[in-house]
Amino acid sequence: MPIEVVLLFAWMLVIAFLAFIACTFEDLESDTGSQSNPNSQVQLAAQVGQVNRFFNKAISGEPLSNAMYSATAGTVAWVLLQKFEPLVPDAKWKVAILAIPLGVLAAAMVHVIFATTAHCGRTAAQKRFEQPIYLDVLYGHLLPIATHGFMTTFCITSIAYIQSNIGYLAFGLENHPLNHPFALPLLCFIWGITVGSIGSSTGDIHYGTEREFQDRPFGEGKRVVYHGKITRYADCGIRTQRDIVGFCAKFGGPCTGLTFGLIILFENYRTLVGMRLGGFLSALPAITRPEEMFILAGDLAAIWGIVVGLLIGIALTAGNMVLVKWLRKRYGPFVGV
Amino acid sequence: MEPITALLVVVICVILGGEFASIGVHLIPVGGAPAAMGTATGIATGTIQLMLGAAVVGLFTASSVATFTNSILLVSLSGAVGAMMMMGVVMLMANIIYAFGAGVVPVSGRVAVDPITRESQTEYKTPQTDGHGVPNVSYISGMVGALIGGAGGALMYFALLNYANFPAGVAGIAAISIFVANAIIAAYNIGGTIEGFHDPKFKRIHKAIFSSFFVSLFCGVLVWLTANLGGLL
Repeated sequence: MPIEVVLLFAWMLVIAFLAFIACTFEDLESDTGSQSNPNSQVQLAAQVGQVNRFFNKAISGEPLSNAMYSATAGTVAWVLLQKFEPLVPDAKWKVAILAIPLGVLAAAMVHVIFATTAHCGRTAAQKRFEQPIYLDVLYGHLLPIATHGFMTTFCITSIAYIQSNIGYLAFGLENHPLNHPFALPLLCFIWGITVGSIGSSTGDIHYGTEREFQDRPFGEGKRVVYHGKITRYADCGIRTQRDIVGFCAKFGGPCTGLTFGLIILFENYRTLVGMRLGGFLSALPAITRPEEMFILAGDLAAIWGIVVGLLIGIALTAGNMVLVKWLRKRYGPFVGV
Repeated sequence: MEPITALLVVVICVILGGEFASIGVHLIPVGGAPAAMGTATGIATGTIQLMLGAAVVGLFTASSVATFTNSILLVSLSGAVGAMMMMGVVMLMANIIYAFGAGVVPVSGRVAVDPITRESQTEYKTPQTDGHGVPNVSYISGMVGALIGGAGGALMYFALLNYANFPAGVAGIAAISIFVANAIIAAYNIGGTIEGFHDPKFKRIHKAIFSSFFVSLFCGVLVWLTANLGGLL
């Protein structure tokens, strides 16, 4: 196998690792700020008389807010890349080292502004329920929110940079570079939506079902009568989100990261495996190829990619069936009252 | 392609894509905020957010595939499989967190017996909840829904790229936008939570299909007008 093809597969592993880090921190960031679905309980708590010291920022759904941060970072980074890449034409990657962190920094500033206004606005609206705005809670959570968000946005922007520039790696295919057709900001937008969607749908469960109601019986769905009555006391003192992040970082966060990492890995690998099996990548060093051969190889690559994807889908379904069967046997029927 | 032919092809593709998006949204198990507390069956997020997340993963792969194949079927299927894979991994990992993070067995709140595996559900359900986790019937329904929805998104992307001659980035943004419009209509029809094809709410699907037709028709004509007036045709 040509070294360029091996390197392509290796780059996909790098992307999957970055995705793992991105989504882990995305979930922990949403736990730090109590964004997304379990926020409904924080919002409800004051209304049922449970005054609390939770940070309450539901800026919007996680996919949209993360798409905004990532697209902001991607746009700033892209502008800087366009501006400074001509200065170092032989080593364009040097500009990325400067441009990506600066773009992400701009996004982190936007993030902090939204976190502040969302928390203050939401909590101020609960004045009638006697919920105060604790300034130490506000100040103490902004930095963790910004840093967790920075990690997410940084990894997403890096993924988008690699994907939009991977053509440099596949230098053999000058007629058809492997750059993704979408520009860097649009790739950031797409992965921002996806990372938020996954962080919202998987990671929230550990926070919402377990940590937010930790003084309720374990091993059952949280009943409607518990809603709003969140656990307000920590192992020592009164609970804030900083106690929650450490807990969720042990299971919910890594599971969420693994979800996004697996998705990225499966998606990229099935495309690359399809291209390899279809004979698309085998001709990497060849620059000139007849058009008919190109179309035939492309079609075959797509077909193989679809077949590999379907096989993975079937394996996932079988895995879920085995898991559910095992759980029913292991946990048994509901025995509580 | 003649402008009138392009109009017909673009509108038909956009309507088909929009309808696929609408049907797909009805099939995925969405539990919304209650699912994050294990109070409802399904995935713990909003309908549009989840379907959009799946569709853009499909769109990412579909747009890659569209650079090396000219077949609308292969591009649509690539997008469909991408969305299906995203949904499959998300539902499986959600079940793992439900099981090992919260000690909850996946169970349907709407049916007493799983229509596919024939497993009984009622005795595993926590009282005063509407089910929890993603049971097998919802999982399979979600996979099929993502497959259909992802195909819709990729189909629209291909039509916009090749028949309306949009640049790749613009075609991607436009396809996502039309997809979201149709997903929102479906989300209104669902009204928060749905477990899949076995949920009684699924019977309302004809209303969403009817509305999606007109929204997609409008979007399709708008796409053609943009392409025509912009000199792309």
